[in-house]
Amino acid sequence: MTSATRQHPLVELSGVQKWFGDLHVLADVDLAIDAGEVVVVIGPSGSGKSTLCRAINRLEPIQQGEIRVDGELLPEEGKALARLRADVGMVFQNFNLFAHKTVLQNVTLGPVKVRHRSKGEADKRARELLDRVGVGNQADKYPAQLSGGQQQRVAIARALAMDPKVMLFDEPTSALDPEMINEVLDVMTSLARDGMTMVVITHEMGFARRAANRVVFMDGGRIVESADPETFFTRPTSDRAKDFLSKILTH
Amino acid sequence: MSPVLDNLDLYVDGFLTSLRIIVYSLIGCLLLGLIIAACRVSPVPPLRAFGTFWVTTFRNTPLTVVLVFCAFGLPELGINRSFFFFGVLGLILYTSAFVAEAIRAGINSVPAGQAEAARSLGLGFSLTLRDVVLPQALRTVVPPLGSVLIAMFKNSAVVGAFGVGGDLWSTGQILTSARGYETLPVFIGVAIGYLLITLPAGALLQVIERKVAIAR
Amino acid sequence: MRFRRTASALTVAVTALALAACGDDDDGGGGGGDSAEPSVAETPEFEAGTTMAEIAERGTIRVGTKFDQPGFGLENLEGEVEGFDVEVAKIIAGALGIAEGDIEWVQTPSAVREEVIEGGEVDMVVATYTINDTRRERISFAGPYYEAGQQIMVASDDDEITGPESFTENPDATVCSVTGSTPAENIREYLASDSQLVLFEEYSQCADSLSNGQVDAVTTDNVILLGFVSESDGEFKLVGEQFTEEPYGIGITKGDVAFCEFINETLADNEEAYVAAWESTAGQVEGTETPSLPEPQPCS
Repeated sequence: MTSATRQHPLVELSGVQKWFGDLHVLADVDLAIDAGEVVVVIGPSGSGKSTLCRAINRLEPIQQGEIRVDGELLPEEGKALARLRADVGMVFQNFNLFAHKTVLQNVTLGPVKVRHRSKGEADKRARELLDRVGVGNQADKYPAQLSGGQQQRVAIARALAMDPKVMLFDEPTSALDPEMINEVLDVMTSLARDGMTMVVITHEMGFARRAANRVVFMDGGRIVESADPETFFTRPTSDRAKDFLSKILTH
Repeated sequence: MSPVLDNLDLYVDGFLTSLRIIVYSLIGCLLLGLIIAACRVSPVPPLRAFGTFWVTTFRNTPLTVVLVFCAFGLPELGINRSFFFFGVLGLILYTSAFVAEAIRAGINSVPAGQAEAARSLGLGFSLTLRDVVLPQALRTVVPPLGSVLIAMFKNSAVVGAFGVGGDLWSTGQILTSARGYETLPVFIGVAIGYLLITLPAGALLQVIERKVAIAR
Repeated sequence: MRFRRTASALTVAVTALALAACGDDDDGGGGGGDSAEPSVAETPEFEAGTTMAEIAERGTIRVGTKFDQPGFGLENLEGEVEGFDVEVAKIIAGALGIAEGDIEWVQTPSAVREEVIEGGEVDMVVATYTINDTRRERISFAGPYYEAGQQIMVASDDDEITGPESFTENPDATVCSVTGSTPAENIREYLASDSQLVLFEEYSQCADSLSNGQVDAVTTDNVILLGFVSESDGEFKLVGEQFTEEPYGIGITKGDVAFCEFINETLADNEEAYVAAWESTAGQVEGTETPSLPEPQPCS
C-alpha cells in the first residue's frame, strides 16, 4: 500500500445509509480506500454493491452519512459535483459509450469539454490510451461496430483520459461473452499493477485473487467482511461469506 | 381559376406575410421549446415544475384563446405592441409547448446510461444535454417535431384573424366577402399558397430525418 | 345554420307568455314589437311561374340575413333574429302573404351571400348587402332600401384624427375594420401603408382594441359605429363626414326582374311600415336619423 504519504484515505465512506422505499440498500456502510489500493467488492445480487459503487460519484445520492473523495465532501448537484466526478473514473456494466460519436471522439469528449485541452493534445493522448487498451486501430469506428470486449476497453480508455484519482468498475465484465472477459480483465490487471486506485464490483474471483489488495464482502446492504484476498478466500469468518463462496466456487 | 390569376399580386402579398409569420414563429418556438424541454428534464425541482406548468397551460388552451389573451389581454395590462408582434408571440407560446414535449420524448428515448456516462466524465447538465443527449434524441425527435411545425405553419392562418391581416387566409376573405368572387376557386388558391410552404417543408424534414439516421 | 321553425315558434310563445306576465312591452331593442308589425296580405294573386307565385304557393320564405350585426340582423338570447334587415324582410314576406312565423331565417355571413343565392338555398338575402358591380355579375339586387355611409370612430379625447385623410397624413395612425368587408377595402385608398389597417373577425374586437389603445380608429358604416358610440359611455365619438355611399340592396337570383320589381313596389307601398321598422330597430341608437326610402335602381 502507498498510503504512507497521505494524511487521509482517497475514498472514505462513513455511516452511509440509503433506502429505496422500504428497501435498506446501504446500511451503515463504513469503508476507507487508500491511494493505490485495489478493492474488490463482492456479494450476491441485491447486496447493495452496485449502489455503493454508484454512490461514490453520486450517481446515486445517499440519505445519511458522509462520502469523501480525496478529503473533500461529496458536493450536491452543480459545478462542484461535476468537478469531482471528473476526478473519479467510472466504467459501466453496459459500457455506455456515446453511440453517436466515434471511438476517438468518445475518449476526447471529456478532456476537451471538461479539462479544456486542445483538440490536438486530446487526440494524441486518446490514441495512446486506445493503443494501451489494445483498440488503437478502431479509433474511427462507431461503438456499434465494435465487439463488447472492445467497447469496454474503449470505455476504460475514456475514463483514463480524464486522469482520474480513482477508477470505479461496476461489474465491467458481466455483460460480456465469456471469450471477451479476459481481454478486459487483463487491461484492469495492468492498471492495478501501475498503481491506479480502483474499486471493482465483480464476480471474477480470479481477478480478485490476482489483483486485489482487499476483498469486501457485502450482503443485505452491509459490509459483512473485509480482508486480503488470500485470507478471505481460504478462511472466511462469516457464515454468509462461506455460503456465498461455496456457491460461486462450485460453478 | 381566374380569381387567382386576376389577383395574383394580392396572393403574393398574402403568401409573403404568411411566410413572415411562419419564419419568426419557427425560430421562436424552437428556441423556447428547447428551453422548456430542458426545464422539464432539469435536476432542479422548481425548473421542472415551471416546465410542467408551461406545457400544461399552453398545450391545453385553444390557440384562439392564447391569441385573444395576447391581442386583447396584454394591451389591457399596458403592453402595446403591434398586432403582428402579438400574433407571432401567441403562436410561439402555443407551439412551444408541443415542441417541448416532442423534444422531451426524444430525450427520454436516449438510454439513461448515456447521460450517466457523460455526467461521470464531469460534464454538467447543459453540456450533457447538448453534446450527448440531444444529438441522439434528434433522431426520434425529427418526425414528431415535423408534425408539430407543419401544424404551426397552418395555424398561422388563425393569427391572420387577430389584427394581423394581409396573410393568405385574409386574402381569401377579402376576395370572397368584399369583392364577391366565388369561394371555391379563391380558397383553392389559398390552399395552394399554404401547400407551397408546407410541401417543401415536409420534403426538407424527410431529408433531415434521413441525415440524422445515418449519423448513428 | 337554419332556424328550426318549431323551436322558434316555441320560443316566441314562451317569450309572449313572459311578456304577458310582466304586463308591459317596452318595445325596446327592436325585436319586431307591435308598432312595427307589418301587415300580411290575405291570399294575394300572382302570375303563374313567378318567384312570388312559387313562394306564396309554398307558404314559406327563406331569408338570408346576418345573425351578428346589431341593429340590422342579430340573434337575441331567445334565439330570434331582430333588426332593420329582419323587419324589411318581414314587410316583403307579408306582401307575399307569409306571416312572421313562416319565415325561415338562414344565417348568411358576408362570405357566403352570393353562394346561397346562386345555390337556391334562400329566396332573398337582406344582410347589410352593399350593391356593387362585382356582385351584380353573380346576382341581382332589389332596392336599395337604405343608404349607409362609411365613417370613422375614435376615442373621445383624440383630436389628431378628423377624417379618412388623417391616415394619409399620419402614417403611424392605425385603423381597424373587419376582414373581407367593404369598409376595409374602401379605407385602403386613404392609407399611407398597408400596415395601418388592422383586421379582425368582428367589429366588437375593433372596439375593444380602440378601447385599450391598440388601434387609433375604427371604420365601417355609420349606423354600426353609432351603436358602439351609444354603448361606450362617452368613450368613443364619430369624426368627419360620411366618405362613401353604401346602398344596401336585397340580393335575389340573377335576372329575376319580376321579383325585383315586386320588392321595389312593396317597399314603396309600405312607407309607414318602413319607417316603423327603422324606428324600432337601428333607429333606437342615439344620433341616428330616420331615413326615407331611396329611389330604387332599375331592375336587371
